Amino acid sequence: MLLSSALIGLREGLEAALVVSILVAFLVKTERRHALRWVWPGIGAAVVLSVAVGAILTYTTAQLSFEHQELLGGGLSIIAVAFVTVMIFWMRKASRTIAAELRGKMDEAITVGPLAVLLLSFLAVGREGLETAVFFYSTVQTAQQGTTEPLIGFAAGILVAVALAYLLYRGAVRFDLGKFFKITGVLLVFVAAGVLGYGLHDLQEAAFLPGLTTLAFDASNTIPETSWYGVLLKGIFNYSQQTTVLQAVAWVAYVAIVLPLFLRPTRKPAPAPAVASTKE
Amino acid sequence: MSRIPLVLAGVGLLAAVAACDGQKQDTAGAAGGPIAVEAADDACKVSATTANAGTVTFEIANKGTKVTEFYLYAEGDRIMGEVENIAPGLNRRLIVEVPEAGKYQTACKPGMVGTGIRGDFAVTGGAQRQSDANAKLAEATKGYAAYIANQTTALVEQTQKFVDAVKARNVDDAKSRYANTRVYYERIEPVAEKFGDLDPQIDAREADVESGQRFTGFHRLEKDLWVSGLQSDSGQIADKLMTDVRTLVEKSKTLQLSAVDLANGAKGLLDEVATRKITGEEETFSHTDLSDFQANVDGSKAAIAALRPVVQERDPALLTTLDKEFANVDGLLAKQRQGDVFKLYTALSQEQIKEFASAVDSLGEPLSKVAEVVSK
Repeated sequence: MLLSSALIGLREGLEAALVVSILVAFLVKTERRHALRWVWPGIGAAVVLSVAVGAILTYTTAQLSFEHQELLGGGLSIIAVAFVTVMIFWMRKASRTIAAELRGKMDEAITVGPLAVLLLSFLAVGREGLETAVFFYSTVQTAQQGTTEPLIGFAAGILVAVALAYLLYRGAVRFDLGKFFKITGVLLVFVAAGVLGYGLHDLQEAAFLPGLTTLAFDASNTIPETSWYGVLLKGIFNYSQQTTVLQAVAWVAYVAIVLPLFLRPTRKPAPAPAVASTKE
Repeated sequence: MSRIPLVLAGVGLLAAVAACDGQKQDTAGAAGGPIAVEAADDACKVSATTANAGTVTFEIANKGTKVTEFYLYAEGDRIMGEVENIAPGLNRRLIVEVPEAGKYQTACKPGMVGTGIRGDFAVTGGAQRQSDANAKLAEATKGYAAYIANQTTALVEQTQKFVDAVKARNVDDAKSRYANTRVYYERIEPVAEKFGDLDPQIDAREADVESGQRFTGFHRLEKDLWVSGLQSDSGQIADKLMTDVRTLVEKSKTLQLSAVDLANGAKGLLDEVATRKITGEEETFSHTDLSDFQANVDGSKAAIAALRPVVQERDPALLTTLDKEFANVDGLLAKQRQGDVFKLYTALSQEQIKEFASAVDSLGEPLSKVAEVVSK
């Protein structure tokens, strides 16, 4: 009882914590601490919003229809993918200007900055926020009926997720910039691909897109989502044990397009005229 | 902080979406209140397996040891609603909007894997569907009323000409008009039968006239024209026929028919064919039975045509059968036509009459089901 609730908390919290920690690490490493002040409001807003709406849905007669819920989740996921993708390339560009000792120069990519950072942190947390908040309230209600285990488990799971993200942040900050940005960038590509697949799956569940029952694979028995490793995979990469063909195709396509773009050598002058040579 | 308003705006927006989806009264199973679902690792006990269309609320309690999910599926496993992440010991609520009556399935998925433990769930009624159905039924009766109006107008015109011919003692003209005039009457016979004694006065056969009653109407004139020659009171009978027909037409304008009336009328016309026309006793003197026969079938077809959208929606297979059987009867009738006149009934062989009888029987059978379909 305790463990299964904890795993749910871990899973729901992991992805957001991960994205946020990479974002923070990046801002810190590239001496852009001034942008940090946009991260917390973004996270705060998402949490407040999720908690508020969760409360409305739990304690009043207002309700979101299933379709709207899935459309919201699916839609936010796809917007989040767009943002994470922008963030990946922004990191790439920004790190290059850093590498080129142009630290004082404000790259125009960063000027997208404050709002993008705010929205990204908001989306990362808010995407799963609603379901998580409603789940949280039901654990609270259960706690009021005398069973506090699910609530404790859930809170523990969230804390573990935050702790893991913090460790990742500490570790990531130790890497030299080139490595840091490569590793986190690649990680983010896979995260974004997972979010994209997950978002499409939501839209399939709402019957907004077809093909819900056309599965690419079913790993329910080999890597169940309820196992700890299944939870980690789901939390970080949005792995799903029953992956639809659409989901799989979108995932593969995203990785196949974005990863090479991200990893392509930065010798050539890219769109920006600033010529750079990395320390790699 | 300046960001508070932003957050509040966001909350307001989502709250508005939630509110749009409705401040709905929970309607649940027959008992009212949410339908309780007790999920275990190997069971899924749903406290009610039926609900009224509209908002259906399930209260799922996970008594098992595994995290579970609860789904409501429509046919073809279309998801109507789901709750994921029901940790052991938790209660979660699922509120689903089910606008249409029909067969659904509930499912618990212990461990969140597989197709789950299924159970049938029936949704009945449905305000939405009901009003839509009522609209279709209203449309049907309106359409049929228009048909009646058409036929009665023609009936008055043709009867007038027939009566004039009789009164002018123009026997040949009257004879040639007789069958065609009756067509308009035979098509709407179920309507005529709604008005007690009008139908016998207009359409009684000699054999059916009760003692003490006067033999009037079409068949009395038929006898005069074909057998006994015009009588001294033939003109008077003709006048009375005209008056009765006019009265009938006036009354029919105020008639409020229901869809079930239409269905019963369609069946009644066929019964009329089976019991009277097939025997050749309707037109004892003129033997123009086939013309009446065709008119009854036309009238029946018109009532079904009006009901078509309703039957199409509720029992498409029945409609296919009806179309086929109507075509069969029409085909047989067409064979007995010479130009725009039917052969005399006396010219038919026993074989042909048998063939008619069995075609009419196979049409009567699906027709008798229509009333039930439209009254659902």
